[in-house]
Amino acid sequence: MPLTRTLANGLVLHALEARHAPVVSLWVWYHVGGRNEVPGTTGMSHFLEHMLFKGTTAHPKGELDRLFARWGASFNAFTSEDVTCYLETVPKERYATALEHEADRMRNALVDPVEVDAERNVIVSEREGLENSPDFLLGETLQAVAFDRHPYGQGVIGSKDEIKLMTRDGLYAHYRRHYLPNNAFVVIVGDDEAERLLDQAEAAFARVEAGEPVAPPRAPEPPQMGEKRLVVRRAGGALPIVQIAFRAPRATDPLACALTAAAAALGGGGGSSASGRSSRLYRALVESGLALNTGASFQLMKDPHLFYLDATLKPGVAHADVERALLNEAAKLAGDLLPEREFAKVKRQLLASSAYASDSVTGRAFRTGRLLATGAAGSVSEWHARLQAVTADEIRDAARGIFIERSRVVGHFIPEEAGGAAHDGAIGVAR
Amino acid sequence: MIRVERRVLTDRLRVAAVEIPGVRSVSVLVALEAGQWFEPRGRAGVARLTAQSLLRGTLTHGPAAWGEALDELGAGARLDTGAHAAFFTGQCLAEDLRAYLGLVADATLRPAFASAEVEFVRTHAVAQFEEDATDTRAVADRIFRELLYPVGHPFRTRALGDEAVVRSATVDELQAHHRQAILGGRAVVVMAGAVEGAFAAVADAFGDWPAGPRSALVAVPHARFERGIRRDEVVADKTQCDVILGWLAMPRTDPRFTAARVANMVFAADTFASRAGHVVRDELGLAYYVFSSIQGTLGESPWTLRMGVNPENVERAIATVNAELAKIIAGDIADDDLSLARDKLVGELVVGLESPGGVAHQVLEAELFGLGDDHLARYPDLLRAVTKDEVVAVAREFLRLDRCAIAVAGPPLPTQT
Repeated sequence: MPLTRTLANGLVLHALEARHAPVVSLWVWYHVGGRNEVPGTTGMSHFLEHMLFKGTTAHPKGELDRLFARWGASFNAFTSEDVTCYLETVPKERYATALEHEADRMRNALVDPVEVDAERNVIVSEREGLENSPDFLLGETLQAVAFDRHPYGQGVIGSKDEIKLMTRDGLYAHYRRHYLPNNAFVVIVGDDEAERLLDQAEAAFARVEAGEPVAPPRAPEPPQMGEKRLVVRRAGGALPIVQIAFRAPRATDPLACALTAAAAALGGGGGSSASGRSSRLYRALVESGLALNTGASFQLMKDPHLFYLDATLKPGVAHADVERALLNEAAKLAGDLLPEREFAKVKRQLLASSAYASDSVTGRAFRTGRLLATGAAGSVSEWHARLQAVTADEIRDAARGIFIERSRVVGHFIPEEAGGAAHDGAIGVAR
Repeated sequence: MIRVERRVLTDRLRVAAVEIPGVRSVSVLVALEAGQWFEPRGRAGVARLTAQSLLRGTLTHGPAAWGEALDELGAGARLDTGAHAAFFTGQCLAEDLRAYLGLVADATLRPAFASAEVEFVRTHAVAQFEEDATDTRAVADRIFRELLYPVGHPFRTRALGDEAVVRSATVDELQAHHRQAILGGRAVVVMAGAVEGAFAAVADAFGDWPAGPRSALVAVPHARFERGIRRDEVVADKTQCDVILGWLAMPRTDPRFTAARVANMVFAADTFASRAGHVVRDELGLAYYVFSSIQGTLGESPWTLRMGVNPENVERAIATVNAELAKIIAGDIADDDLSLARDKLVGELVVGLESPGGVAHQVLEAELFGLGDDHLARYPDLLRAVTKDEVVAVAREFLRLDRCAIAVAGPPLPTQT
């Protein structure tokens, strides 16, 4: 269990010792993401994440990049529908300084107008890179169709037009509204005593002033009353894809553990991975010659989200056949108990994946933070104990509760014919 | 500081292990020196087809049974074919190490190569060609290799190979490659984590690896590239272009390789802290991703800079990279840029200790290329000792602006519309 301390400004600190390597991994989680955005400002949280690397009143742009690079640190950030998170894994003698920098940018980022315009192009480029992928195009459309009211339907990166229209003042207001110690928590894991990790974090963050509490967004998604279907057509992809999403409960729901196990049982795999080849989906779709790869996923989210099944089709196979096979496997999981040996395998897979993640300092910090962010559990060990307590009946019942026709969305990616042209030229000669 | 224990099990199989106290798992890397470099000439794709067939059943386990046994351990495993080696990369719980190694050894030493299973692997490879034809990164990768390497050179294609070869390769050919390059070649097993009893487990699993000298190596044509050339290829219905600038690098065993790593870091290895990355992304906002990398192989492996760019910005991005490279070649390198590059590479060695996988990968390079038992101890000092003159010399010889292959794949450029 992590050692936890709540500061007077509302910031909650969680610390875990990991003494096998001379490093410390530090993660600052803010409760703001795509879920907190409204139409017209989609992508704002993600845009802001980029701007947090563009300097503060104390440290000009680039200083942190070079400092962390000089330490050989892993130094990054990500934005999801639920959170924005900043992370660094550094040599242990550097972590106090890293904490100071995170505390500084919690309230003192410049969000300089010139930098906003420069970064806008980078974010458009990030989006355009994603648009090259048929998986992304289909997934983004499917997510939009799945949610009528909840902002989860907007995704994270935002529409290109809204990225282009994003203003500095809007970004800065978003920053000041959400980047507060009482709207964040810190996970720090590494090669020091847990009490000392907390002391160092408190020394860095205690002086940051609290702000007006941020109320969670209220946009409950009404029940879905029938299957939704969509098709994305584009020439920029050669292989057809089927994605199916079922409405699924939030991370704090009692069914979350059983659905995590259900995803492991359905599993999937493909490509160079040797793992997952005994899963139900791999056998039913890949071994049978219907698909090249397949997968199942259930993510821990703050609000009710989706349970995904997907497959990339083998050339010449019809979408309908793959869709039928995916749904058939979902129905079987909802209809029958996992046989004893398969149930034991799923439990073993969950145990092992937990150990692998925890054997990395960064992985241990991430898994702890992800559980805390969504309220799924207070620690990795608590979550793991709950996973190990899941019964085969609970897996079947959870599957039965969500794998129903009227609450599913089915998406097909259909490649279209394309032509291309090649141009060769010596460098420096006009083409 | 990593403490590596080593054993030579046979003249073809070396084993290295690193104990990491307090972890529950073992990261296992098995490098079979049977990558592209060891492929029969003119048969690009045979190495990968052979390697992938190892996962499709053995003389004692059908493919389903082998997969079931692996999954019952909850083990992670994948098999990738690279320029130098085919790599089993995986992780298992400490108490499962013996069983895990047994499965990996079974696949490596006793693959069945059943016709139906080879066809399964072939079908997936052919589909990958189809998918890659509309993938801008894959198209750019194909183009720069075609520009940079002569016909017959193993790095002229990606490991996926040549489609005609993949379509025509026979079971006999794959079995012959398995005998020659895998059983007759060399391999390295590296384990990091809870490795108690690991050497005995490897000995039991791989004990019947045939002994004998290494099979004769395939003669690889020398790669020479003495011109600048660019090819643009339109990939329909895409939004962004993928751009690759490629050069020929030196073998990993070349004494200049350490200086090349530092030069690569000064150039663009890090999007934010390296020169070209910083200017292209951070100053000009031309790309979300831009980075350079240099591969370690036995030959002239690719040294590349890759970036994703809107078609409107392709020319400016290329010109910017070239301008930054010209400064390095001219010796215009700030002391702080050089020290940052060295410090970052040294610091990454420390941060890499945080996971069993990170430790295993550090060990693997030294073992694979015979860099010496004391390499990991010496390596930080080797990096710190690289001088500006050495960086400039390497850049001048290997990153010449007039000997660069440029590949652009994506939507039509403004000049093409």
